[in-house]
Formats: sequence, C-alpha cells, structure tokens
Amino acid sequence: MRDMPRFPDLSSAVVLAGLAVLPFLVPVTLAVQIAIFATGTLSVTLLLGSIGLLSFGQGLYLGLGAYAGGLLLRDAGLGLVPSLVVATLAAAALAGLLGSVIVRRHGVYFVMLTLAFAQMGHFATLAFKDVTGGENGLSGLPRRFDLFGLPIEGPLSLYGLSAGAFLLVFLLVQRLVASPFGSVLAAIRENEPRCAVLGYPVARYKTAALALAGGIAGLAGALHVVFLGFVPPSDADLEMSQRLLVMALIGGVGSPGGALAGAAFYMIVSEALSEIWPRWMALIALLLIGLVLFLPGGLWSVGGRIAALRHREAARG
Amino acid sequence: MSAQLLLFQVLNGTGIGMIYFLLSVGLTLIFGLLRFVNFAHGAFYMAAAYIAYAVAVWTGTFWWALVLGPLLVAALALVVERTLLRHTYALPHESQILITFAVALIIQEGIILLFSPLGHNVPVPEALSGIVFLGPYVYPAYRLAVVGAAVLVGVVLWVAIERTRLGSILRAGSESAEMVGLLGINVDRVFMATFALGAALAGLAGVLAAPLRGVEPFMSSEALGIAFVVVVVGGLGTLSGALVGGLLIGLIQSLMSTLWPEGAQLMIYAAMALVILLRPAGLLGRL
Repeated sequence: MRDMPRFPDLSSAVVLAGLAVLPFLVPVTLAVQIAIFATGTLSVTLLLGSIGLLSFGQGLYLGLGAYAGGLLLRDAGLGLVPSLVVATLAAAALAGLLGSVIVRRHGVYFVMLTLAFAQMGHFATLAFKDVTGGENGLSGLPRRFDLFGLPIEGPLSLYGLSAGAFLLVFLLVQRLVASPFGSVLAAIRENEPRCAVLGYPVARYKTAALALAGGIAGLAGALHVVFLGFVPPSDADLEMSQRLLVMALIGGVGSPGGALAGAAFYMIVSEALSEIWPRWMALIALLLIGLVLFLPGGLWSVGGRIAALRHREAARG
Repeated sequence: MSAQLLLFQVLNGTGIGMIYFLLSVGLTLIFGLLRFVNFAHGAFYMAAAYIAYAVAVWTGTFWWALVLGPLLVAALALVVERTLLRHTYALPHESQILITFAVALIIQEGIILLFSPLGHNVPVPEALSGIVFLGPYVYPAYRLAVVGAAVLVGVVLWVAIERTRLGSILRAGSESAEMVGLLGINVDRVFMATFALGAALAGLAGVLAAPLRGVEPFMSSEALGIAFVVVVVGGLGTLSGALVGGLLIGLIQSLMSTLWPEGAQLMIYAAMALVILLRPAGLLGRL
C-alpha cells in the first residue's frame, strides 16, 4: 500500500526541514523557483500517485494560472491574494470542464487527450495575441506586493510566499489522500471497474481530482509570474507539462514529498549543467529511463527503502 | 475565397492529410498490437525529416532519403525495442509511455546537438519541383506526388494487413497476443517487427513532409500532438480511422490557414474537442 500516514509524520517533517534549509543551500532565487515548481509538480503527483492518472498536460493549467494572475495583477489591479485565489479557481474551473470531457475516455486515450489539450492551450495563446501578447508574453507586472500587511519584495520574501504556498498545498494533498475521498481515489487506481460496480461515480471522482490538480498547477503559475514580473509564453508550453511530469517522476509519486525532492533535483541539476552542457535534458531522459526500470518510486522512495532496511536489521539484531 | 484558392487549399489539405495519415497509421499499428501509445512517434518522424535534410545536403538528391529515412528510423526503433521496451512489457502501460517519452527527449536533444536548434529548408526534389496543370489551374507537382505516394503506401498496407498471413497474425495479435503465442507464433518477434514498421511509417511521413515544411527540432511535439488528434478523431486501431482523421485534420488546417492563420493550429484541436463531445469513440471507433 502506498497510503500515507497521518499528520504529523516523518515525511512532513522532512519537507518542513527541507523548506527551512533550502534558501541557505542554494541561491534564494533558485529556492523560490524550486518551491513554485514543487507546487506545480504536486498536481502531477496527486493525479498519478493517488488516482493513477498520467497527465501530460498539467502545464496547461499552470499556463492559465500564469496568464490569469498576470492579467489580474496588471490590468485588473487586484491585490496579491485575490489574484492568486482567482487564478487558482480559474485553472480549477478549466481543469474541471476539460476533465469532464477527458474522463469520458479511458487509459491510453486519457493520456493522449491531456497532451492534446495542452497543445490546444499553447496554440490558443498564439491565436489570441491581443490578450496573451503572443510570443512576447505579458510584461509590466507590479514588482511590489502586499500580503496581509507584509511587503513582498525581493527574493527572501518571495521565498516565504512560495514556500508557504507549497506547504499549504502539500498539507492539503496529504490530508486529502488520507481522507475517505483519498481512499476512493486509491481504490479507483487499484481497480476502476470494481469501483464502478460498487456504485462509486468514478467519472465524478476523476473530474474532481483533475479540477483540484488543475487548481494547484494554476496557483503555481500565478506564483511564477509574481516571481518573474512578467508572463513568459513558455509557461503554457507543452514543455512545461513535460517538465512537471519529469519532476514528479524523479521525486516519486508515492508521496507528496516527492514533488519537492523532484523539483529541487531538477532545478539544481539544470542550474548546474545548463552552463556546461546545454543538452543536459538528454541526461535527465536517461535518468528517467533508469527510474522507470529500476526505481519506480523515485528519489523519495530511497529514504523509505533505507528505513525499511534498517528496520529489518534492527529486528534481526 | 475564390474557386482557385479553395481548390488549392483543398489539394493542400489532402496532401497534409495524407502525411498525417501515414504518421498516425504507424501509431495505430503499434497500439493495436502492443497496447501502448508510442510517445517517441513524433521524434521518429522528426529524425527521418532530418535524415532527408542531411541526405539532400550531402548527396544533392532527395531520392535516397525516401529509402534511408524509414530504414534508419526502423533500425533505431529496433534498438529501442530490444534494449528498453522489451523489459517493460510486464510493467504497467505507463512505463512504456514514459520510456518512449524519454527516448523522444534523447532524440530531440541529439538532433539539436547534431544540427543546431535552428530550422533548415529542405529543397523539393528536382524532378518534382515543377507545376502541373489541372484544367485551368496550376499546382505544385511535389504535393501531388505526396498524395500519390501516400495512397500507394495505404493500399499496400491495407492489402498486407487484410490479405496476407503476416497481416492475419497482426490482426489476431491485436485481439489476443497471448492466444497467438499459444498457437506457436513468436509473438516477441511480431512485437519487434510491428514497432519497427510503425516507426518506419512515421519516418516516411517525416521524409515526405520535409520539403513542404522544412525541419526544426520542435516539429516532433507538434507531430505527436497531431497524431494524437488524428487517432482520437478517427478512432484508434483502424486504418480507415487514421485515413479519415488524417484527411479531416489536414483539410481543417489548410482551409483555416487562409481564413485565420494564427488560429489554424488551434482549430485542429477545437475540432478534436468537438468530436469527443459528440462522438466520444471517434468518428469510426468503437468505445
């Protein structure tokens, strides 16, 4: 069973400690991006880990959150928190809407449709240039924000904001997976036809999970533009979807903590290697193959394996 | 839209549609037997397009590319199948998708490494660089030749699948691979051959498309998206589904590119969304 223990537990302690030391280990701006992408990755982790849905399209919702956040902050003059909330809700609404269409198809069609809709979103940003700025994106976002009276300006306060957001979503996902709702999701993952026969409205559960995951990705997108000060069109790119998926797989989808591990690993490696060898993605791809074949639980499962090994040794001794 | 322009765009759309058909029929064949979607399919298509480019640059002729493109891509697919995919058949289908996705990334990075991230034009083969008179209208000869080549391949494939022993093994395998194995047929080898054949078809599509659209390292994800749309629209697992889906998508893309150039790609995906809403199984598919 991959079910998670209830809070407070070891994995949330590790995540908390990781978030606390991260800005001291790496440059703060990198730490901000790790926290933001870890949040986005949680949307993949939630889908694949809890209900077993492989999505190649979470970048669509990250992109929508980015554009919605950018437009709200710049043109609607909405404050930071309302903008983040509305961007999250908008992404969740789109994910719920598309989700209700996508869940009509199963298995391999589902995977293809997530990718196709992500491509659709990318081409929509190119088609509606007046709103999205086309290939230039949106610039001129405010650089100072106010979070319940606290000024958000500069890397460290941005880290506080994004790490706080990640922690919030992390705890939400963890609680959710441990809840009765999460048990149904796990049951659908293990045996969908049996769940349907038992009378669970499987399509509705899937749509709900997709909407939730979409909202999480949307929040990450909105945070990303708050950090950048502009909306890059690459946020709505197919590559963004792939990046979130790769991060989730590297970290492991068995636990929401894997999202942080995967995002941190990916961002640090990309930072270290992109200067030396621009084609470093090939190495990430090799790593991906290795993980699929030899370590399907990802990096996060390594800790669990070591713990289990020591437990066994202790029991023997 | 004048009659000449309409005719021109319909012919263009048919040409593009036939390329999409070749691309998607490979995906469909692989899925039919191996039950997973090959995420490296777009990368195979791109690799062959780049082979066409390299052959055109080095030898000055296009014709070798028609043979070399599909063959080399099929060889690449064989290596991928033997070294990686073979070990994942016992794992969930997600594993095969992720392995082929990783292979696609490696091919894409490799191509950028070899050919630079910039796009290149591929010249139309000289013998077909002229125009053809269609009554009062003129039309580029190469585009007509693409339609002819794709029709030929489609017919050969249909005969091979419906009328030969190999084809019956393939069809039986897509019903129950286990049963075919019990009948004494080496399923392992059939899997291998099918994966290579599917890749070769993507390769042929890539070679034919290269003079029309040039080559660039991001054409793979575009092609993968299109192939998915075609099989979702047409229905996965049948030749006719890939044909109908490919032609429909090619025509939509071509006609929209006159009416709303920025939105032409978007409309392809909008058409797909419409089809899923109205006919979830695809135009010719069974749910």
